[in-house]
Amino acid sequence: MKMTSTKIIIVEDERPARDLVRTYLKEFPDLEILGEYDNGFDGLKAINELKPDAIFLDVQMPKLTGFELLEVLEHQPEVIFTTAYDQFAIRAFERNAVDYLLKPFSKERFREAISKLKLRLESKQKGVKEESGIEKIRQHFAESDERLHRVVIKKSGKIHVISTGDINFLEAQDDYVMIYTDEGKYLKQQTMKYFEQHLDSQQFVRVHRSYIANITCIERIEPYEKSNFVLILKDGNKVPVSRSGMQVLKENLDF
Amino acid sequence: MSHPITGNRRSVVIYSLVWLMVSVTQGVLYHYFLHFSLAVLVSDALTSNLLFGFLGLLAWYPTRYIPFQRQSPLYSILAHVVAGIVVMGIWVLLTVGILNALFASQTDYTEFLNQTVAWRAMLGGLIYLVLVLIYYLVSNNQKLQERLQQEERLKGLVRDAELNLLKSQINPHFLFNSLNSIASLTMTNPDEAREMIIRLSDFLRYSLKHRENEYVPLSEELGRMKDYLAIEKVRFGEKLLYEFDISEECEEFPVPTMIFQPLFDNAIRHSVYESVDPVTIRFSCMRDQGHMKAVVSNDFDPEVPSMKGTGLGLQNVRQRISLAYKEKGGVHWTGENGVFTVSILFPRIYI
Repeated sequence: MKMTSTKIIIVEDERPARDLVRTYLKEFPDLEILGEYDNGFDGLKAINELKPDAIFLDVQMPKLTGFELLEVLEHQPEVIFTTAYDQFAIRAFERNAVDYLLKPFSKERFREAISKLKLRLESKQKGVKEESGIEKIRQHFAESDERLHRVVIKKSGKIHVISTGDINFLEAQDDYVMIYTDEGKYLKQQTMKYFEQHLDSQQFVRVHRSYIANITCIERIEPYEKSNFVLILKDGNKVPVSRSGMQVLKENLDF
Repeated sequence: MSHPITGNRRSVVIYSLVWLMVSVTQGVLYHYFLHFSLAVLVSDALTSNLLFGFLGLLAWYPTRYIPFQRQSPLYSILAHVVAGIVVMGIWVLLTVGILNALFASQTDYTEFLNQTVAWRAMLGGLIYLVLVLIYYLVSNNQKLQERLQQEERLKGLVRDAELNLLKSQINPHFLFNSLNSIASLTMTNPDEAREMIIRLSDFLRYSLKHRENEYVPLSEELGRMKDYLAIEKVRFGEKLLYEFDISEECEEFPVPTMIFQPLFDNAIRHSVYESVDPVTIRFSCMRDQGHMKAVVSNDFDPEVPSMKGTGLGLQNVRQRISLAYKEKGGVHWTGENGVFTVSILFPRIYI
């Protein structure tokens, strides 16, 4: 094996699509396929363990989507998206992923993507300090107005996928946000602003500088100290409400 | 439909002016040819014409509620003759009664009045006929306007519905992923690639038929749905399993084209897409007293947090069924114990 061989992992849930990428890759003997995975969970595990230089990543996959996978990845390879339909505003990520291939793609288009990948890897080797592509992809998602349906969290080595509807409330903790559900609490490196922006505003209200509450989980609202209020949630937790938070609550709950 | 005269102020004014002119004309004629006193002339003209003017307004109602039927004009004519005789009877009796009572002492006038009863009735009948014809004209015109407006509205609705259907029918994910599978198969298995292209073509051609909103035998609809599933099967392999249980008595039952497509699409989107374990999609149907009940069910993992909203495709199916069969048909769905079930009730129809 050559020392310069580039290690590749394919994460794609459809067999014919994996076949296609593998067949196209045959003409590049310096690219070595470490493995192929048909769902996000297995792909994630393999990427963290095998540490490939680049991954071919489908977006629509069971268990964990391509974007969710990138969120919790420890090892950060270069990414080439392969997707059928531009539903996820892929174009916004174009500059940051090495490339994105819209299925079905031609051999020429594939070669182009590989050339870009090699260029990117070369400049990386030369030590050109570049912000990681994945970091930019994450940033782009944070700035978009894409609605969040579930949250992926790493907790003691395990990956938890939480439906946003199961979140009772969120609490700011420095650079992190603590997410409270009936199953337990999860710490996620993210800003309150991010959650305020991406959670369904019909359901989640920023009641306090440090708190976002799921209004379907509110049991009652009680006065607290002078002119402040506190939410008593169905799970027994108490969430403070600021004066401006109370205004927003009044509008949302219509009282 | 509102009354064409009392319905708006302008018509009321015109109608009143017409009757005022008739009254004046009648008064002038009486004055020149018959030499009664002014009180008599004015009373006669006003009484008969005011009454007629009022009764004439009522003539709208028989026109409104006795629709002119081309197939049996005799019935309509008879109805109007009866209504006309009743109205004219009331008019003549009231006019003659009132005038007789007012001028009982002037025998030459009451004699004249009683002699002209038949003439008055005939003249009144003629005017009544003219009024009825005018009413018909107006009402037909109104109906035409309303129908045009309704047609315009319906056209808009149909366009929207068609657009929504076309949008919802073929999931772009399905189309592009299938094409990608074909691209892959051309290298690894050209025979299967050809089969898949043929299936995809059959399915797409069938889905275009949809615009005509026609009915096809259940067996044909399911044939194309099997094409659809076979294409998805190439993509998902062993992850997608399907079973069809079609009893012979259901095969010829007419169903709207593509009515089952959203059901299978839903099953694939919400369970196969999201699962790593095999998912079985089942179809069954049965006949009961001329009706047919068809059931599509699939396994799903209730633990998996769903990515997408549910129910849009199903709402679409429900809307189509209710458009096609009114309240006789129905769509119901439940998700219990890890099995999602949708059933459609098709009433017996005659085509």
